[in-house]
Amino acid sequence: MTRSLRLPSGLKLMNLLLGSWTGVVFAFLYIPILLLIVFSFNDSQLNLRWEGFTLDWYRALAEDTVLIDALKNTLIIAAITTAISVVIGTVGAWLLYRYTYPWRKLVNTLIFIPMAIPEIIMGISLLILFSMTMSLLESWQALEWMPQWYQELTIQRGFTTVIIAHVTFCFPFVLVAVQARLVGADASLEEAAMDLGATPLKAFWFVMVPYMLPAIISGALMAFTLSMDEIIISWFTAGPDSQTLPLKIFARVKKGLDPSLNAISTVFILATAGLVVLSEWIKRSSREVSKR
Amino acid sequence: MNRRQFILTASAAALATPAFAAAKKETLNIFCWSEYIPQSVIDQFAKANNVKVNVENYASNEEMMAKLQAGSSKYDLIQPSEYIIEEMVKDGKLETIDLANIPNFKNLDPKFTKMPHDPENKYSVTWMAGNVGICVNKAKVKDPIKTYADVFQDKFKKRIVVLDDNREMVSWALASLGIGINDITKENLEKAKGVLAKWLPLVKLYDSDSPKTALLNGDCDLGIIWNGEGAKILQEMKKSKKRKLDFEYVLPTEGAHMFIDSLAVPKGAKNKAVAEKFINYILEPKVSVAVYDEFPYTLANAEGCKLLKPDQLANNASFPVGDPKLDTFKMISPDMAGAIDKVVTDLKNK
Amino acid sequence: MQAAISTAAQVKGPQRRPGWTGWLLMAPMLLWLLAFVVVPTAILFVYSFCERGTPVEWKFTWENYARVFGGTELWPLLKCVLEAAGVTAVAVLVDWFRSPSRMREERAESAKRVGTAIFVTVLLWIVWTDLSNVFTGTYVRIFVRSLYYAGFTTLACAAVGYPVAYCIGKASDRWRNLLLMLVMIPFWTSFLIRTYAWITILNENGLMNAFLQSARITQEPISMLYTPGAVVLGLVYSYLPFMILPIYGSVEKLDNSLVEAAFDLGASPVRAWQTVILPLTQPGIIAGVLLVFIPAIGMFAITDLMGGKTVPMIGNVIQNQISGQARDWPFGAALGMTLLAMFAAAFWFTTRKQGDDAVMG
Repeated sequence: MTRSLRLPSGLKLMNLLLGSWTGVVFAFLYIPILLLIVFSFNDSQLNLRWEGFTLDWYRALAEDTVLIDALKNTLIIAAITTAISVVIGTVGAWLLYRYTYPWRKLVNTLIFIPMAIPEIIMGISLLILFSMTMSLLESWQALEWMPQWYQELTIQRGFTTVIIAHVTFCFPFVLVAVQARLVGADASLEEAAMDLGATPLKAFWFVMVPYMLPAIISGALMAFTLSMDEIIISWFTAGPDSQTLPLKIFARVKKGLDPSLNAISTVFILATAGLVVLSEWIKRSSREVSKR
Repeated sequence: MNRRQFILTASAAALATPAFAAAKKETLNIFCWSEYIPQSVIDQFAKANNVKVNVENYASNEEMMAKLQAGSSKYDLIQPSEYIIEEMVKDGKLETIDLANIPNFKNLDPKFTKMPHDPENKYSVTWMAGNVGICVNKAKVKDPIKTYADVFQDKFKKRIVVLDDNREMVSWALASLGIGINDITKENLEKAKGVLAKWLPLVKLYDSDSPKTALLNGDCDLGIIWNGEGAKILQEMKKSKKRKLDFEYVLPTEGAHMFIDSLAVPKGAKNKAVAEKFINYILEPKVSVAVYDEFPYTLANAEGCKLLKPDQLANNASFPVGDPKLDTFKMISPDMAGAIDKVVTDLKNK
Repeated sequence: MQAAISTAAQVKGPQRRPGWTGWLLMAPMLLWLLAFVVVPTAILFVYSFCERGTPVEWKFTWENYARVFGGTELWPLLKCVLEAAGVTAVAVLVDWFRSPSRMREERAESAKRVGTAIFVTVLLWIVWTDLSNVFTGTYVRIFVRSLYYAGFTTLACAAVGYPVAYCIGKASDRWRNLLLMLVMIPFWTSFLIRTYAWITILNENGLMNAFLQSARITQEPISMLYTPGAVVLGLVYSYLPFMILPIYGSVEKLDNSLVEAAFDLGASPVRAWQTVILPLTQPGIIAGVLLVFIPAIGMFAITDLMGGKTVPMIGNVIQNQISGQARDWPFGAALGMTLLAMFAAAFWFTTRKQGDDAVMG
């Protein structure tokens, strides 16, 4: 890791220090994860200390449709949330940078509200909002002259409501990350592209997006992570068919967090790590092919 | 393995009972305590009756109330405790239950029917009972611990875990003062505050979800916890081969809280008939034992108790021996709930 | 924090008024903000002026806000400010006479800089050591404590995360995205499972104690869990990635030739960092500070699980009002609104100083 640093020459000591600090921090990040993986093989229901090796929890996991469904729901919700958040956050940051909107300060403050507000307040207020909208709908549905499609309209807690809630607290993270990247960005970049005949859309897509990309990636990673791990807001807004993994895990605390929960985390982490390595490998081999 | 055995027996039972007419699949929306109803029980019921069962969980009575009050939640079956039932009945939030549709009601121990919070069982059926008692690690604590005051001694400073439940804490203080745990008035609360002011600084950990963890890990030596948690510790004591554990579960002589977790149908439920069917199903002796296997609280099902193994019945955390002083909670006014919250918040916030 | 907000709001590119396309593109975000941020917040704002009921009684009252600020006395806080001012005055005087050779302007400049830094640090320190006497109101004290925890988390995350972000940002293309993913992957497990893994490590019969004892560093097991140290560890662990990622965004675009130039001119690593690298990566640091500090104020799950729940955080209190035993929605809403108002006030105040034309356009 240290060797690949592109730091100025004559700074070997600093490089070494930086590299080893990074190593220490990564160890800090991964020690609990390693432990979690090891304990997924623990022969103990309560899973507090090591009692012996077993694969039973992986067998139990294979039969545990509730957990598997919950993981599926979590991934669907996190993926859609990330996609919407990236679009809203990136476009929002770019527009706020490019144009001077009236009440810009107000908009900037509003963006931070979902971050600043405690999750429980946001959860309950969104649930109240959804149920108020529903009762409003229902009261008008009593009117007979309303069209058929309107009569059938209904708001139920489910994927849509969770995703709405998740996007609301995730997109500000993307926006702030992209905004930080745009500070001091060369304004002439985009204009130069347009002077050369690019349409505004093309200028945005081929000039601005690549420039913002590192921030977009980190924003997307943050949004995905936040959505994957959210409990309180999900508890209020999720319906019976959209229960997420954190909700199901939380529901099992009382029973004791048995190792099958470690097992599902392990399977997921290893699968992700595998995918990352695979995509790197594909990228690298395609690069080598193109070099030839 | 217990679970698998249960599935086998339950599916045999399911085959024996005539399947529900499969014309239209009905849904049953259950809002219940965290994983209180084992998934296997739900799956079996769904299969036998051709019903789609949706489950959402909550971690406290108050959480349940919050979500019900926020609206847009249409549940068919909820699982409130005694003092919440009293309140919901008063506010007209529960449907009446027709016991004629629940023949298995007779399986319940008469001790747990016709209780003060619902004298005629018009609105609720007891699901499981439980209590709050003291759990002691005898390897670390040599003195006999019999009362709340025994727990909160200076020498146990920062070795105590208690439930993170303000009303419980106040009730312990009241009991140790010789005041009834439901006698919550302004004056009594003031007295309780004096006691708690000495007690709370000794506490290392407040945990309602899994207080057994700190006891088993050795971070705390004694605590006041749910009896189901205590029963799990006693089970672990027998199971663990590698190390010797020595715990005991005692009910304080001043008296303790007994909670009655029940099943009830909230107002506006769409599928009361199926909910009643589910209540009846869960009162089957075998089903109730399957629940006890995962949640060793006090089994209220007398017929079910007959099926338990001797060592399960001998677990004194699940099944109190002798005749301890146990009281249920009565509903309290919102003002008093607020006052209790203020007392504990102030004391913790020193 | 204040400086942080001001610069974030200062983000500005080509100053241009939006045409209809500008508005059209902005519309989705504005509508989203209106429907799912403004309206729900407004509902709770209304609730916060109602009386408690099941769940609310539609009667106007100031009572909830009176409770939030109740019991607050100004004098103890004023005393702290005066004490801090005294210390600052002494320090500034010492600084003034230390090197007489300096120009008058230079001295004034230095006095201002040193003075502000010392004043803020000393004030924060005095208040923290004597929190229960300085803030006499129950809920105000809880607010302040939560702010301190959030501030400390932010500082610790910045100190731990900056070098890591720098390292990742300067890594070769091959490594960069891989390392970024590696920072995030641990957080794709559930928060609860991760925390229980820490509990397995830190408890008295846990791995850490086993290691310390086998290495003969200690004889008796040490109580590590449910202590302030455990809380800090848990907080830094949970928020670190939200500091690393935005800083990475800034480091990645840092022009190497500038850094090299600094070194060619004979700057030491520290000075190069101070004068070149730090200013250029400042936007990333500010974004990181925002992303950590703001969510951390309302956070309580980590302090509960790692710290034993012995001191209440503002998040606990609000939770207890809404889905806990207190069951007082209007008061919970009032606490939430106060938190928002504090935040909004800080935001507006710091951006106002930057000059309205820059921000308002």
